[in-house]
Amino acid sequence: MIAQKTFRELRVMALVYACLLLLLELPVILLWPEVYDDLKKSALLRNIGFDFLQRIGSGITDRSEDVAYRNWLAVMLYFRSVNLLGIAASVLLGTALFARERETQTMEFLLSRPVSRASILWQKFWPTAVCVTLPIFVMNTASIFVSRAIEMEAPFWPLQLANLHGCLFALMILAFTTFVSVKCRTQAHVAFWVGGIVVLQIGVYLVPRWRWSSLFRLSDFDWYGPILAGNVELPQMFLPTEGPANSLWTLLGAALFYYLAWRALRDLEP
Amino acid sequence: MNDVGLVQVRGLSKTFGDLNVLADLDLCVGRRDFLGLVGPNGSGKSTLLRILVGLHRRTRGDCAVFGLDPEREPIAVRSRLSYLPGETSVYREMTGAQFLEFAVAFHAHVDATRTRRLTELFALPMRQRVRAYSAGMKQKLAVLAALAVDAELYLLDEPDRALDATMRMELRGILREMWKQGATFVLSSHHLEELRDLASRLQFLRSGRWIADAELRVAEAALRQRARVRLTNDAPPQGARIVRRCGDGSWIIECDGDPLAWIAAQQSGATLAFEAGDPRLDDLYELLYLPQQPAEPSA
Repeated sequence: MIAQKTFRELRVMALVYACLLLLLELPVILLWPEVYDDLKKSALLRNIGFDFLQRIGSGITDRSEDVAYRNWLAVMLYFRSVNLLGIAASVLLGTALFARERETQTMEFLLSRPVSRASILWQKFWPTAVCVTLPIFVMNTASIFVSRAIEMEAPFWPLQLANLHGCLFALMILAFTTFVSVKCRTQAHVAFWVGGIVVLQIGVYLVPRWRWSSLFRLSDFDWYGPILAGNVELPQMFLPTEGPANSLWTLLGAALFYYLAWRALRDLEP
Repeated sequence: MNDVGLVQVRGLSKTFGDLNVLADLDLCVGRRDFLGLVGPNGSGKSTLLRILVGLHRRTRGDCAVFGLDPEREPIAVRSRLSYLPGETSVYREMTGAQFLEFAVAFHAHVDATRTRRLTELFALPMRQRVRAYSAGMKQKLAVLAALAVDAELYLLDEPDRALDATMRMELRGILREMWKQGATFVLSSHHLEELRDLASRLQFLRSGRWIADAELRVAEAALRQRARVRLTNDAPPQGARIVRRCGDGSWIIECDGDPLAWIAAQQSGATLAFEAGDPRLDDLYELLYLPQQPAEPSA
């Protein structure tokens, strides 16, 4: 019942979010031929001050158009769309999960039902997780078909691996937002704290010396680029012995924040 | 703790930080009891009910509902009771029917006949979204959802809040009927006379402690000495101890002798009403909870 109620509350926002992902994807792919021609002529990206932007610049202006296109997808579908829209969706949908129950004074009603708090958390979390991650999978997989319109090939399996990681990253942010939503009394407070921390993390990411400590290090072009190039396989995403294993750390981060959310809900006295 | 009563509480204390909300409470509620909880806001009524449901953890003491610890086995406890929170808890984005369906879906047994009767009685627009409801309608829906469940024990925190007099009377009738059919109630309310009319016994909470029986007996004895006289004149009545002047212009007096003789001796004004004998719960409440002004000496 709680899961059904959560779906009912989120379905419109999830649909809007999926449409936005598609709207951002279509021009990115369809305008690629012109963009590639322009980028090849421009030296701006390669000479820009930020080191990660230089790597992006050289990646999307690679002499091989196929390589450049895959890098372009890594930047636009993942580094941009997942990190911006995925996070925005996680924060927007996650903010309401518990803080709204408190705002509307229904928390006491919900927690006094004969159902465990772990179950309440799960039945609220998983529909939200589906609403956040399913559009990422569907819309990014749709890029395979859209790419055919410009006679380019988007690689199926690397896209799914990138989708998997993008979803894990969005789930980590959702779990964090859920934790804050349990702790805060109003949705405005949740948005303030989560938004503030996300902005802080972006700021940290832009400082090369501190970048290692930013959560966005787990979901940047340096990670998606090799995945879409086909240089990272599933085991390498999760095994620290095989490489950076960013997907493992992201998964562990999501699990940690979910656990913190469960503890906070367990100890909550409405 | 044994399973003599549905609810057994011994030495229960609850603190929030430095604030003692409940202190060393004992309570036993047997089957088919109708316990009325009386006390001003902040006396600990809602906290006590929340502890019984397992929403709050107690600081000290023992607590058993159906012989189970609500902290350790909250689901087993809650599946056998129905709880109405003190704050009106309904989902604004649902329709009335959706909310009712949602609320009862957690429970194994729902009394369909009672649900239908209550729905008709409350005359709620069940297809309309709750956000369009008035405060009273929202409370009716919350009460409906709580009473639709076929439970052994009903814990109702101010079920009559925001309800008009007619609806309170109807609700009283339904609760009485359910009680006669074997249900057990623990109910808090600020409508004192209605609570007295309904409950099989009353417990008075003050600053998280029960008011002792001895103090209650003293207070009731003191009230039996009082007469409530409604006079037309504005001047204070002479020849009796004036306890207080009420908002409606009536005077509460204490007579050493016969109050009727005192009324007969009044030379000014007209006596419109006179009450004496068993104390009203309102007066008992005032005596127990409100700071008493020193009585004016008789003239």
